[in-house]
This record gives sequence, structure tokens and C-alpha cells, in this order.
Amino acid sequence: MFGYVVRRLLQLIPTFFGATLLAFLVIQLAPGDFVTRLELDPTQDRESIANLRQQLGLDQPLPVQYAKWLSGILQGYLGLSLSYKSDVWSVIGQRILNSMVLVVLATLMIYLIAIPIGVYSAIRKYTWPDRTFTVLAFLGLAIPNFFFGLIMLFLAVWLSDLTNMRILPIGGMTDEFLHLGNMTRAAQILFPPALLGTLVFAGMFWWRVQRKQTATFGIWVGLVLFGMSALLMLWPLLQGPGLPERLPYTESPLWARANNVLWHAFPVVIVVGTSGLAGLMRVMRGQMLDVLSQDYIRTARAKGLNERVVIYKHALRNAVIPFIAGIGGLLPGLIGGAGLVEVTMAWPGITPALLEAISAIDIYVIMGLITITTVLLMIGNVVSDLLLAWVDPRIRYS
Amino acid sequence: MKKLLVLGMLALAGLALAQPKVFKGTEPGRAGGAYRITSISDPRTWNPFVARETSSTDIIALFLPYLTTYDPYTQAPEGRLAKSWEVRNNGLTVIFKLREGAKWSDGQAIDADDVIFSATVHADQRVNSNSRSSFILDGQPIRWTKVDQFTVRADFPKPYAPALIQGWYIVPEHVFGPAYRAGVQQLQALWNLDTPAAQVVSGGPFKLDSYVKGERVVLVRNPNYWGVDERNNPVAYLERYTFQIVPDLNAQLARFLAGEADTFSAANADQVAQVLERIRANRLRAEIFPNVDVTLGTNFIVFNWNNKDSFKENLFRQVKFRRAMAHLMDKKSMIEVALGGLGQAQWSPISIPNKAFFTDDVAKFEFSPQKAAQLLAELGFRSKNRDGWLVNAQGKVLEFNLVTNQGNNVRERIAQIFRDEARKVGVKVEYRPIDFNELVRQLTSPAADGTRDFDAILIGLTGGIEPAFSRNVWELNGSLHAWNLGTGGKNPAKVEAFEVLIDTLMKRGATTLDQAQRRQIYVQFQKVVAENLPLIYTVAPAYNPARLTRLGGMFPKEQINSINGQAPYIETIFAKE
Repeated sequence: MFGYVVRRLLQLIPTFFGATLLAFLVIQLAPGDFVTRLELDPTQDRESIANLRQQLGLDQPLPVQYAKWLSGILQGYLGLSLSYKSDVWSVIGQRILNSMVLVVLATLMIYLIAIPIGVYSAIRKYTWPDRTFTVLAFLGLAIPNFFFGLIMLFLAVWLSDLTNMRILPIGGMTDEFLHLGNMTRAAQILFPPALLGTLVFAGMFWWRVQRKQTATFGIWVGLVLFGMSALLMLWPLLQGPGLPERLPYTESPLWARANNVLWHAFPVVIVVGTSGLAGLMRVMRGQMLDVLSQDYIRTARAKGLNERVVIYKHALRNAVIPFIAGIGGLLPGLIGGAGLVEVTMAWPGITPALLEAISAIDIYVIMGLITITTVLLMIGNVVSDLLLAWVDPRIRYS
Repeated sequence: MKKLLVLGMLALAGLALAQPKVFKGTEPGRAGGAYRITSISDPRTWNPFVARETSSTDIIALFLPYLTTYDPYTQAPEGRLAKSWEVRNNGLTVIFKLREGAKWSDGQAIDADDVIFSATVHADQRVNSNSRSSFILDGQPIRWTKVDQFTVRADFPKPYAPALIQGWYIVPEHVFGPAYRAGVQQLQALWNLDTPAAQVVSGGPFKLDSYVKGERVVLVRNPNYWGVDERNNPVAYLERYTFQIVPDLNAQLARFLAGEADTFSAANADQVAQVLERIRANRLRAEIFPNVDVTLGTNFIVFNWNNKDSFKENLFRQVKFRRAMAHLMDKKSMIEVALGGLGQAQWSPISIPNKAFFTDDVAKFEFSPQKAAQLLAELGFRSKNRDGWLVNAQGKVLEFNLVTNQGNNVRERIAQIFRDEARKVGVKVEYRPIDFNELVRQLTSPAADGTRDFDAILIGLTGGIEPAFSRNVWELNGSLHAWNLGTGGKNPAKVEAFEVLIDTLMKRGATTLDQAQRRQIYVQFQKVVAENLPLIYTVAPAYNPARLTRLGGMFPKEQINSINGQAPYIETIFAKE
């Protein structure tokens, strides 16, 4: 096992060089460079264009450019952005984190919703609920995200017309000013229901433990959701009275900023989540159907086991194996951003920055992002394989 | 007590010395309030020597001073940091007097050292500032020297018309000087986006307050600014100025409709309608001015006179052919379909909003397929072959390729409309959108034998107020002499008489100082271009600004233009509520 891991890690080195070289070549093969767009500016003369190329090192042969970049990478330096004149990491770092907020929340949402629905659809296949879920899933898959994002924006405008309140945000990730007074008031109103919900689910949990039963998935979800919201509400309440009514975002307390970001993320996560939901739901359903038709399930049922135990203990355990394997694949997705929806909903993620870098041919920003993604993809693959070995007893690495 | 008295005397002396600029707004305003606009992309830097795009310079312009600019009411030169100037030596020397008592936001005086230092750095070839062209005239340097603490002098190698427009940004020498002496790299690393906002020194109406990447740039009033209004109250009136970064035009509209942005420019009739509908439903207290002006940019088709194919080259060099192509441009449909119903036809090179030089009295080859067919017949294309394409006596088909840059919807539609009309009369136009950088390469990089590999390109150039700044397009050896490009900075091998005339007019226009004479020269230039069509102009998109009624100090409808926008000065905009 140990030998296998070492071997895999050693294989990453040539892969890394190959991948980055290929990326570099593809970027350089595309026509034009960072200076090309300036050539259409009537106020720029030939001489300053040539100067700029020379200064940015864009006139040097490709192998030299790649070698220079590589020597920087090996020292952990991603290079200098051509248009920002600062370290590539400082250009993309914060944006990657912003994108992660979306991707993490959307992934959680997808898994929390898709797996139960997939299981349900498999058990009750070809019933009305199954068909409804299928239709909805494919609708979510069919509507392009950027368009759905725009619909969300106009829904937000429409809602604020209807109620004269900002129910949903109109794009962005934060507000310029946070109305802390409103937040503590909202917390005062919402805290009791959240606490009540937590108590109800805790009660159900306790009741099942008393009867020597494990808690169901639904109870877990309820407990987590209500508990988290109660904790979130408690925070402003503890700090509430002494706060000013309105503060600039940059000077607000952490809980208020976190709340504000979550509120802005809500519609965007819905948009991002719906598209991923469909695929996962169908895969889960197919997996589950596959497993349910196996001999050992028939055996389990023949033994007279409770249907619930058959499904959750025997079938589900084997059906989720591909998902476990897929966890490694989520790693590069974490920093890849949430796609065009970030542009339409003005989320300050990595996608808008990457698109700008591509259109300006800011090579080092593009390369930096590709490099990070490549490394994460390779690590993710190794992790996936190890997880698979851990979950699936049929696989042995030796 | 004594100390206080001395200090008071000093302060009074300082006040007596101060020579603030009086900003004449459209109405008296009052201090306070916030101004919020949306911006399509993030700034790249706060450093004026590095900045290359408007997303950076729009913000830098709010906190760094410059000597002079255009008066928003008359378009004549207007002093900013320079309070006055004197032209000597038959226009070869200009002496600028600076405002005494002007201060940076950190309290240091703004004086000639800052101006000369900034000029030196902008002109430095190693720095590659975007303003470098302001310091070179026909390959010779424009020399800047310090006369005394508040006087600088510029010496030009030859008389230069835009000599009084010096809009390059002036930086605090005490911040940039040490870095510059340590090397160009250090200078370029200064004031990048990670610099704490408090460290960015301001000499303009606002100063940087905070920047959240991908979200917003916030500027606050600079109390040390050297401007006042007509009643001697300090400006800017506004306390806070926010750029909200919204990379999508529809999302920008949504923000404006929700009242979260104070101004908006509608891109097409559809957006105009949405704003209007909301105003009529009393959901938004705003005004919109559809088609009040057109934007400065131009779109044109250029034919390649350095074609590999000698048949095409000869064809494109015929003025009759180019006029026939102009007759095939259905500008009405282009405005309807490509610009969403709002825009104006353009016939000559100077942008329509540029009232100081623009003339409408030029030759117009209006849409007329019959006239086009007749002109092509005169060129020998009288009959059609079996496929319906026009052919000449030798059986040569009249065909060429047309490309434009992919992803620009306006240009793609204009090109399609032109192609369809051309095909109707039997001209075989093969249209294809291609990558922007590839397009630039085809246009600007001739092969060793001087040929370029395209037939026709639909492209645009950004316009400006000063026609002399487009000399690279019109002078024979210019790097953007797009229809007939010489190699290695030399004149093209074979030139037509009208090109020489345009070249002469451009050179005269740039070196004539009298405004009335300049206008005459440029009017003639527009006529020659419209007659001969080296570039065949299409349509200009409309400028459809909208604003919330809470803003004061804005232009009334008849004064709005796309050069200055909706207000004469940012300094005199104020919040009514």
C-alpha cells in the first residue's frame, strides 16, 4: 500500500510538467498576445508597442518563456500578472476563496438533496413522484445557469417591488453598508422558531435512541439545519444592543459579514445547485436500481429483514461507492469557480477574473490558475483511488 | 497664546496664497451624500504609469491631478492644476502656472517638482506609460523643465495644436521618486491593488477609502482638494463615491431599476423600455434620455489594398468599387437590427458628438442597390453567371471575404446585413467572424513582400475629441493606415492622390494653432474621406443615459453629450436627498 502511494506520487511529476507545458503551448498558439489589443489604439506608435513586448518578455522564444515561468513555479512563485503588475496569487487568491463559498454550499446542497431523492426514486420507480422529480431535474439541467441567474435577479427586483423590502439580494457578495439593527431584529424574531425546531428534532433523536434505533437521515438533516440557524441567530443577539444601526461592511463584526455573504449566496447557490442536482439524482437512482437487483439484496429480503434495513444498510452502502470515488474529483472543482453565473450575478469569484485574463491574454494569471487546478486534480485522483480502496473491499493495491 | 497667534497668521497667509479652481456647476449644490455607479470590471492598479484600461483610469482620474483638460461647456482648453498658461515662441513653448497652495491629501504641497517628475517618468521609454505618446512629437521629444516652484515650461519640436491639453496624471514625487530611483520595477510595483487604501495619496477631488476585490471601490471626499464652487464653498460636494463592480450589463440594469445605482447607460431600445416602464409605474424616481447623442466609437469596413491577389487589389483601389459598397449599406436596418433601434448613420471619420470639428456636410452614398449595380457595371461587372454572381468580361466572379471579431454582436449583425444586401445584387461576400487577436494580426502585420492576407474587415476604433490623436490612422506612414499599410514604418509602396491629400491635411491640422483654421482643415479632411471612402463608415450606437432624480448638478437634457456624460464636473454633482 505504502509503495503504491509513493509510486503514484512519483508519477505526478512528469504529469505536471506535461500538463503545464501543454497548457502553455495552447495559450501561446492562440493568435496575439497581451500587447495585441494596444495595436488598435491610434495613440500608440510602433516603437512603444515593440518596447512593451520586449519589457514583458513576450518577444523571447517560447522555450525561454516557459523555462522562466517554470523556475518561478518551482520556487512556489506563480509569476507576475501582466496587467495587474502584481503577484498572480494576490490577483486570484481572494477570488478563489469567494468562489469556494458558492461551490462548497452548492455541493452540500446537491448531496443533501440528490441522494435522498435518488434513493426514493429508485425504490418507487415509475410512480408519479419519481416522474415529477425526473422532469424537474432535467429542467434544472436544461436551463443555462447564466440565464437562470438573470431570472433570479429580476425575481429579486420583482420581490422588492411587491414587498418594499429587500427579500433577495440583487447580485454581488456583500453590501456596502450592513444594517445591523435589522439583523438583530430579524434574529429576535427568528431565534425562537429555530430553537423550537432544534428541540423538536433533538427530542425525536432522543426518542429513537431510547428505542435502540439509529436516527434517520431526515432527523440528522433537521438537527443540523435548525441547530446551525439557532447558533447563527444567537450570535447577533449576544452582541445586539450596543451596535450602531448601520456600519460599512469593512468595519462590521464577523457574524454580520458572514450573514451578509450567506444571504447574498442563497440565490446563487440555488442557481448553481439545480444544474448539478439532476445528474447526481439520476446517477444515484441508477446505482440504487442496480444494487437492488443484486442477489444479496434478494437474500437479505428472504431472511425477512426489515425493508428499511435492506435499503439503508445493504443497498445504499454499495450504491454510494461511486460518489465516494468522486469526492477526489471535487477538489479541482472547488477552485474552478461556479461558472458564468458568477458574471451575471456579479459574484466576485474566479470566473470573471479568468475571463478577463483570457481576453487580455494575461498569460501568467491563466497559467497560475491552470497550475493550481492541475495539482489539485492530480491529488484528487490519488485521494479518490485511496478512498475507493477503503470503501470497496474488492479493490486491493499491492 | 502667542503660538496660536502665529499659527493663525500662517494659516491666513496660506489662505491668501491659495488659488483654488472655481468649478462652475449647473446649479448651486450642498455638501454631503453619496454617489453610486456600476463598473463593468475591476481596476487593475492605482498606479498611473501602469494603468492601461478605463476601469483603472476612471478611478485614478478622481484622485490624481492633471494640468489641463477640455472645458465641459465649450470644449476649449481649461486649466485644472494649471491656473493659467502663456504661449510663446510662435507656439513652440508653453509656460504653465500652477495653483499655489494646492496640497496632496497627506499635506505636502503640489508643485513643479511633482509635475516635472511625472513628465519624466511618463516619457521614460523603460516605464512604457500609456501616456508616453503625449511626450513625443514625430519622433522628437517634448521637453519639460521647471522654471520656479509653481511654473513649468514645455518646449515642442514644432508647433503642436493639442499642446494645451495635458491630461496625463501627476503623482506625488515624495512617494514615487525613491521607487523610481531604485528602478523601474519598483516604480511599477507601487500602488498595486494590494496597497492599503490609506497609503494612496490623493491630489484630486476624492481619495481612496476601500477596495474589495470584485465587489466595490469606495472613494471619499478629499478635504485638501484645491477646488471651490462659485460661492467659494469647497468641492467636491459628495461625501462618498462608490464603484460597484457588476460585470454583466443586464445585472447593471437590475441594480439601477432597484435604485441601487445612480446612473446607467442603456445599451439598446429594450433596456430603455424597461427603465421607462418603471418610471411610468412610479417605481423609480429617475429620468432617461434615449438617443440623446451617439457614442464616440466608430465602426467601419476597410478593404485591403495590399492584397496578394492583384485582381482584388486593383478592384479595391477603384473609388467606384468602394462607393458601390457604400451604396450597399442599409444603415436603417443596421440601426434597427444591430443597434436595437437607437443610433445614427455615420458618413465620415470624426465622431458625431465631437461638435468642435464634426461636419454633416459631406458626400453621402446612401443605400441604393441600383446605384451600386450601376457603378459595378461601369467597372465591367455587367452580367451574372449561372449561380447568380456578377462576372466581368473575362468571367471573373466579383467575390471577397469579410471578417469581423467574434463575440461583438453589433459588428456581427452589421456584417451580416451588409453581406445579405451585397449578395442580392450578385456580389459574393463570404462572411466569417474570427478571433479578435487574429483580426488585429491580419490588419497590422504585413508579410515581407508588403502583402496582407485579408480582403475586408469590419472593425472599430475608439474616438476622441482631438482629431490630431488619430494621426496614426490617416498619415501615410501611420501604423493604422489600415487600407494601405507600408512596411517597417515607411509609406506604402503605391499611394493614391487623395491619400497624400489626407496626409497633408492631418499634418497641417496638428500644427495649426488657430481654432477656426483647424476646423476648416478638418472639415475638408472629412469631405475627402467621405468622397473617397478609404474606410467605409457604418452606424454609431446611441448614448442613452439614465439617472435617478436624487442627483443635483447634472446637465439638462440639451447639454448631455457622450463626451462629458450627464454632468459637467464630478466636483459639482450633489445629492438632493
